[in-house]
Amino acid sequence: MFRLHRSILRPSALQTRTMPAPAMRDLARRLLDYEAVAGESSVPTEFAALRVYENLRLHLCTLAGVAGFQSLASRGLTLAKSEAPELSVVQIAADGRLQGLEHLEPQTEKGREDEAGVVLIAQLLGLLFTFIGGALTVRLLQNVWPDAAVEESRIANGRDA
Amino acid sequence: MSTQDKVTIHQLPTGVPGLDEIVGGGLPEFSFNIIAGSPGSGKTTLAHQFVFANATPERPAVYFTVLGESAIKMLRYQQQYTFFDPAKLPNSVRFINLSHVVLEKDLGAVLEEIIKEVEKANPAVVVVDSFRTMVRKARAEVSDMNLQAFIQRLALFLASWQATTFLIGEYAEEELQDNPIFTVADGLFWLRQSTERNSVVRKLQIIKLRGQASVPGLHTFRITSEGLQAFSRTFGLTRHVKRLPDRRRLTFGIPELDKMLGGGIPAGDSALVAGSSGTGKSVLATQFIAEGLRQGEPGIVAVFEERPQAYAKRAGSFGLDLATPQKEGKLAILYLRPLDLSVDETMHSILDAVQQIGAKRLVIDSLAGFEMALSPGFRADFRESLYRMIFALTGIGVTILSTVEVDESFTKFPFSTYSISFLTDDIIRLRYVSIDGQLRKIMVVVKMRGGNHAKDIREYEITSKGVVIVGGRLTEYQHLITGIPDRLSRSNLEKEPARKREGKSKG
Repeated sequence: MFRLHRSILRPSALQTRTMPAPAMRDLARRLLDYEAVAGESSVPTEFAALRVYENLRLHLCTLAGVAGFQSLASRGLTLAKSEAPELSVVQIAADGRLQGLEHLEPQTEKGREDEAGVVLIAQLLGLLFTFIGGALTVRLLQNVWPDAAVEESRIANGRDA
Repeated sequence: MSTQDKVTIHQLPTGVPGLDEIVGGGLPEFSFNIIAGSPGSGKTTLAHQFVFANATPERPAVYFTVLGESAIKMLRYQQQYTFFDPAKLPNSVRFINLSHVVLEKDLGAVLEEIIKEVEKANPAVVVVDSFRTMVRKARAEVSDMNLQAFIQRLALFLASWQATTFLIGEYAEEELQDNPIFTVADGLFWLRQSTERNSVVRKLQIIKLRGQASVPGLHTFRITSEGLQAFSRTFGLTRHVKRLPDRRRLTFGIPELDKMLGGGIPAGDSALVAGSSGTGKSVLATQFIAEGLRQGEPGIVAVFEERPQAYAKRAGSFGLDLATPQKEGKLAILYLRPLDLSVDETMHSILDAVQQIGAKRLVIDSLAGFEMALSPGFRADFRESLYRMIFALTGIGVTILSTVEVDESFTKFPFSTYSISFLTDDIIRLRYVSIDGQLRKIMVVVKMRGGNHAKDIREYEITSKGVVIVGGRLTEYQHLITGIPDRLSRSNLEKEPARKREGKSKG
């Protein structure tokens, strides 16, 4: 079940400065899974990360402005690169768009490319939690994925179960 | 035009405690308002309070952020206030950043973007924060005429779309002249921070508000974890119905003193107990409150120099139980936070307590402590403020007893260092006298506006039961009020009754 509950998603300041908290990573993975299911099955998993990112970008640009989102995303990417070096090919454009995620080379280790996307989204969410807190981040995510609860229950019943 | 022909202008709650009273009941619906002031004066917080008080999912608030404080940081800080309700985001309260449009395009594009979002959301409230930075950027590129046209179109559009609008800007007061935005605006709210010595006082002024009468002048406000709280100069009493005069006498429970007062302090009076340190002013004031409680009259004690627990404990040492009536909600001991206080804030606290417990008696202990608790800027107006406060409180039927410390002098007999005796109806003066090698205490009722009172000078002691008047009138001394009396000789004492007899027979 895709649940956005702030009590379990409260990273410590130190965690968000270094690596995403497990809860944040779990949330990012769930969002990617959601988008993967929502999209076509043939779409590569890194595209799911791109879709999650794009959804966040569109909503956050409205809230914080293009420059505001761009700087937040750049910080998230920098933090993510230290954990997933393969993200070094990825860049944030001036308009906040993500460039280069499609160029991620397949990793020998199973699921690594998927993991890079999870790390990036988790870092971005972690920054949001740090800056605006759990309640507002959850409200924002619920606004981006309004039907996620319904869809996630389907995921929980199907894929996760 | 008759009343029924007039259009009804609905008023919206401002969400700021005390501000509705100041603006004349609430903010006019569909009005186009400016919140101006220096950085850190509380403009954004005021707008947020209005937004959260009025936004609904059906008629949301759209908050445009432009080139000012980062929206993320604004949310980070604003959510610390208790009025901020995250559940209202984003359905009822929507934040939209227009910085990129302002930076990359012209005013026409900005207006188009605002129109697009307003038509989409159908908001009841629109805020542009900061409008000033947007205009400043535009001013560098367009003529004043174009700017004026933009403001005109924006105001017309938002009013037509039935939105109540706030434009926020960092303006200096010199800019009030020749600025089209102030001409177009229906309401102009100016927030100030004035610094005096080490003290900062926040003040709010409604410079302009079309369609209704606001309370003129500068009103103090404070920003706490609950956001802005404004304190009207009228103390919010315009909505209170004045009580009919009640001329009962309020006793102290000190029989001899009550007799001296002709039965007690007339209800609704402002009485002053003046004396130097240690003469028992506070004890007398506590006895006044305790006697009221004994008679079923709720009371309030406003203390400035000690904490309520210490005050109640000290009363207990005189056999006066203040703890029980406090628990029962019949007594409130208000410890008004020292430093940087305004009279209006003090009044607000006292009035709240008066309404809450239905207080009949109020003790202010002491005026010196009260003055010290005020910000230096307010101390200059202490007498005027005190006048407003006393007038307002006695007007709703509260009987006030204030204590004031006076410097002892062997040549003068002052009632107050504040020259405020004209503000008080009744004055009881306490002082030390040197008699028979002892420092003893005397009291005299100096003034009672409401009627006759004893002229006697009486000696009193402070015992375990509080102030107790001992003996009768001090007839054996003259020059008592100098503090160094002369004992009358036996022959003079014998002449005294004879003089009285003569006086009576002449009368």
